[in-house]
Amino acid sequence: MKRALLIVIPYVLFLFIILPLSATTPSAAAETRSVHAQDEPYFAACAREGLNESECAGRLIWFKATAGNDRFHTYVFQQRVGVLIDWYRVLRSDQRGDRFRAWGIINDPACCTPGTPDCPAKSVDETYGMDWCPGDEELLGYVGRTGYRDPACDFRDAPLKEGDEHGPADQRQSACDLKFGTSTGALGIRKFPNPRFDKTAWQRLNRSLASWAGYNRPVAAAGAGEAARSHLQDGAIEPPFLIGTACGSCHIAFDPLNPPADPANPKWENIKGLVGNQYTRISEIMVSGMPSNTLEWQMFAHARPGASDTSAIPTDQINNPGTINALINIAKRPTFAGEQVMKWRKAASCAGSSDEALCWCEPGHDGKCWKKSLEQDTAHHILKGGEDSIGALEAIQRVYFNIGSCSEQCWMNHLSDLRQLDPQQRGFGQMPFNIGQCRRDCPNFRAIEDRLPNILDFFMSAEAHTTDLRVARENQRRTTMPEARYSEQDLVADLEREFGENAVARGREIFANTCARCHSSQPEAAAGQFASLDFHRIDPGNGLREDWLGNDRNISASEVGTYRCRALHSNHMSGHIWQEYGSETLRAQPPDANVREPGDGGRGHYRNISLLNLWAHAPFLHNNALGPELCGKPRHTGNDFYAMRPRYVDGSSRKLLPPDQQPACFEYDPSIEGRYRLYKLSMHELLNPAQRAPKVTLLNEDITLRIGPRLWDGTAKEKLLGFQLTIPSEIDGRGVTAGTLGNFQHKQFIVDLVRAKTGAQELEASLIQRFGEDTGGKVLGDLKAIADELIGQPNALVEALKARPYLIKQVYSSCTAEIENEGHRFGEDLSEADKKALIAFLATL
Amino acid sequence: MKIATFTLCAALVFGSSGCGFFDRDEQPPDINFAPYGQGYGEKPDFAQLEYQLPLLPEDRYKITPQNLSLLDQEQVDQIYARLSAGPIPDGAFDGDLFFPHGGSGNLRLSEIAGGGLRGLLVNVGGQKLDAVGETLWKGKVFYRGERLLRNRIEDLSTLKRLGVVEEDANRPLQTIQVNGKEQWLLFPAKLYCGQSLLDGRRESIIIDYAFTDELPGYRRMPDMLAGRDGFAIRDEIRMVYPGFYLGRAYMDRSFVVNFVLYNQEIAERIRDAFMERGEIQEDCWTGTQQVARAPAGQ
Repeated sequence: MKRALLIVIPYVLFLFIILPLSATTPSAAAETRSVHAQDEPYFAACAREGLNESECAGRLIWFKATAGNDRFHTYVFQQRVGVLIDWYRVLRSDQRGDRFRAWGIINDPACCTPGTPDCPAKSVDETYGMDWCPGDEELLGYVGRTGYRDPACDFRDAPLKEGDEHGPADQRQSACDLKFGTSTGALGIRKFPNPRFDKTAWQRLNRSLASWAGYNRPVAAAGAGEAARSHLQDGAIEPPFLIGTACGSCHIAFDPLNPPADPANPKWENIKGLVGNQYTRISEIMVSGMPSNTLEWQMFAHARPGASDTSAIPTDQINNPGTINALINIAKRPTFAGEQVMKWRKAASCAGSSDEALCWCEPGHDGKCWKKSLEQDTAHHILKGGEDSIGALEAIQRVYFNIGSCSEQCWMNHLSDLRQLDPQQRGFGQMPFNIGQCRRDCPNFRAIEDRLPNILDFFMSAEAHTTDLRVARENQRRTTMPEARYSEQDLVADLEREFGENAVARGREIFANTCARCHSSQPEAAAGQFASLDFHRIDPGNGLREDWLGNDRNISASEVGTYRCRALHSNHMSGHIWQEYGSETLRAQPPDANVREPGDGGRGHYRNISLLNLWAHAPFLHNNALGPELCGKPRHTGNDFYAMRPRYVDGSSRKLLPPDQQPACFEYDPSIEGRYRLYKLSMHELLNPAQRAPKVTLLNEDITLRIGPRLWDGTAKEKLLGFQLTIPSEIDGRGVTAGTLGNFQHKQFIVDLVRAKTGAQELEASLIQRFGEDTGGKVLGDLKAIADELIGQPNALVEALKARPYLIKQVYSSCTAEIENEGHRFGEDLSEADKKALIAFLATL
Repeated sequence: MKIATFTLCAALVFGSSGCGFFDRDEQPPDINFAPYGQGYGEKPDFAQLEYQLPLLPEDRYKITPQNLSLLDQEQVDQIYARLSAGPIPDGAFDGDLFFPHGGSGNLRLSEIAGGGLRGLLVNVGGQKLDAVGETLWKGKVFYRGERLLRNRIEDLSTLKRLGVVEEDANRPLQTIQVNGKEQWLLFPAKLYCGQSLLDGRRESIIIDYAFTDELPGYRRMPDMLAGRDGFAIRDEIRMVYPGFYLGRAYMDRSFVVNFVLYNQEIAERIRDAFMERGEIQEDCWTGTQQVARAPAGQ
């Protein structure tokens, strides 16, 4: 039976502390209830921040709820996406002191390294090498067996909102489905006992319970140029814990008003949940189990600290890392009326509708229904280009998919598989996520959805209030002099000593006349009446600053001139994965005529962001590229990711500057003075674009994209079965950006290559329509030639493309931008004195 | 060609005792499929498919290895997505690979794009791959307690001809007797519950050769051909009904071929109970999907 097989290109005891809630939550003063031990500091924070019951519930969810994504971060990402996370490398307790510097993640003040004084665990054997955290006294007993009762089951909901369409009875999904687990030692990263864990097998592999050394040890690669393997890819091995992430994993940050004395050992009062962690290296965490010479490392690990490409997993093949948004004074964030929004809305019944695609009632509940309709709504614009535009609740909802929740039930099947090159097969392109289906099929979705109003209340709470430099400095003085005061006049006086007489007033004038058209939310600014604007005005109703300092309107990428790849992000477009989270109004935006890449579907724009507390949030721009490069300088040099990716290049050759010419990086410093110094350096670069050394994230080695297996028999590598192409780190003497890889539309390229042989006439028309007559003709000619060169020798593709680099760098690239810190040149013509004045004024905002 | 393949299979692999199961089938199974088109965007979402058209036990017993090959790949995928992993098998299973209707077993991309590009992007001369293809996805022996699998090789001649069988008098190849006939046991693989590369809504049973070199009885040649430095083979299977599994084979994460596994004794022993209750032991994560109407017996 001879048959040729052909390959398709294819963590005291477990105790409940009875706390009088009056000590924690002001709104329930007379009430007492059981509070899980691990929740105690959270309620203390709610009391400190003055949060009401709903806001506090939302905060707890934001900090702890994984909504079931432990399976994503343990199984799905590794096995289905093929990207390995080395959780031990990130979370090992013996490197707790280096964790912030290496990974930018924030140590949980309640956790400890086993064996240290007062730590309940005496040996890392007890915790499998990880920190000991509150709740572990119970959790650890369930490693390797079933029956663990998640602490989220003890979550007590805030009362249902009055007038809730699904009330008055409380019909919310079980809080167990929020899935809290216990802390891993890093805030926002949670662990769950793995019932499949086999202790004997684990000890055999790692020779110790305390180590994961056998699990993550590199296994020698067979053949030159091949990446080392490890047992992280061995799905037969079950680690002791499943690891999940809460939204807080990226959004929990040090309080600019009260930073920790030692960033590796923060106290609870140093922690805020909404300002965004501007140091996190979440991208590197996600590829921590991959060698650096893999496609996956190169595609993920290019975001700067504090930035992440949220479309790297639901890939749109557009390299576009963006910062974690600082959520400040959300109650003052502009909204937009009259937007065309198709979405699911709460309903009491589905009377008159039999189509579940339009109206659905949750079985076993009384009038808990949802109806889908197109209506004119007032909505926020969220994400860098306003792509989340169907409502604040839904924008929060979607964050849970960014962190992996409901991946198996709802969205993995809808993603594009980079290896699927057959346009007739699932996975060739994205399919829209179906909110209705996810609600029906994923209990974790319902658990979050039923509590979104609490999370939104948290967003609107005092914890999101401004963190002004004046208050920060006053707090700083009070650490040594409790009665110290630092007034607005003191701040102005200090700024003027630094930037010149009358600098703040002059800066206000410049800001009003040149910046407020975009960076003010006051109606007068929209009307062009800048002179009378008071940017510090307080709303007497709630004590918030009136001005959000950004109008949140979209501006074309070419007008602002910043690195445009993020603006070309496409996941919200019709037919794409997050279609249901984008409004029709958004999608109707005209494209930016000055951008060469396709800008359909509402793409090509950036929102005018808020400048609130700019002093605390440098570096700048959507990708944190403007200002000094941040570096952690960890003691363990293997985790020194800055050293792996220097960014400053020669302006003409796009090649890295020699090490001695690379500007020094700015070491992580979350102190008040550290933030302020970073602000000034970044402002200098902002206002002096001619002095910016260009930054480009380059490939630091040739990277081979291989689809299909190859064979190594120990003596000679057989010819590839499938296809491969190599993206060289240098083409024609110029460095090649890491984005080149992520932006290369390899599927379209392969399909066109095949069509060049089988349907050249049709392809020609398509190429001319896409690229114009000249380029289209040239592309066709080259595709035909390449097809001929490849017959019988697929490896020839490497050489064929080396000879025609424009195909990779331009024609089949979703974004050809290179310089990451360009644009936003506004203010470059100001005098030096005026630039200083502007820097002085902005520090007061 | 496909029919010829299975006829031959029945004769060679199952002898006279197993041929009934693999007998020629003229008609595809009479089960419902969601409408679909040619492009990837015209394929139905598996969650909606299963919600509206769950596979009942009586539907499942309409499926045979033969009539699967009368379906096209999308229909096979729609069946696979409506299955659960079931119990991790134990014991010897017969099996074979099959190519769906409308496919030639050849380069799919070239067929889509118009055909005639054989050799453009694929080296078709991989004799070793062909040989591996002839020996894997056939009979298997599952060692459920050890989470281990070995492949039953009835004819070693092809592999020997290619010089990929290391022979050592001091370490003879493992054998097994099936229906009175000796077969060799090669290509050990790990067994576990894991992610389906087609349908993530529930787990599949994974047959993974990546770390074959760590398994007892590993013999460098030919076993390494299936391993991480060889063709990087990873199979996934789901239960059609007790004793009968539908599988998908991947090489370096690229889908290559469908296959079936069958154990007649199990199939006959558990049939009535499964038909009555519509459920069976599940060893893997079964997901949280709801269905509009429950299968019989539930």
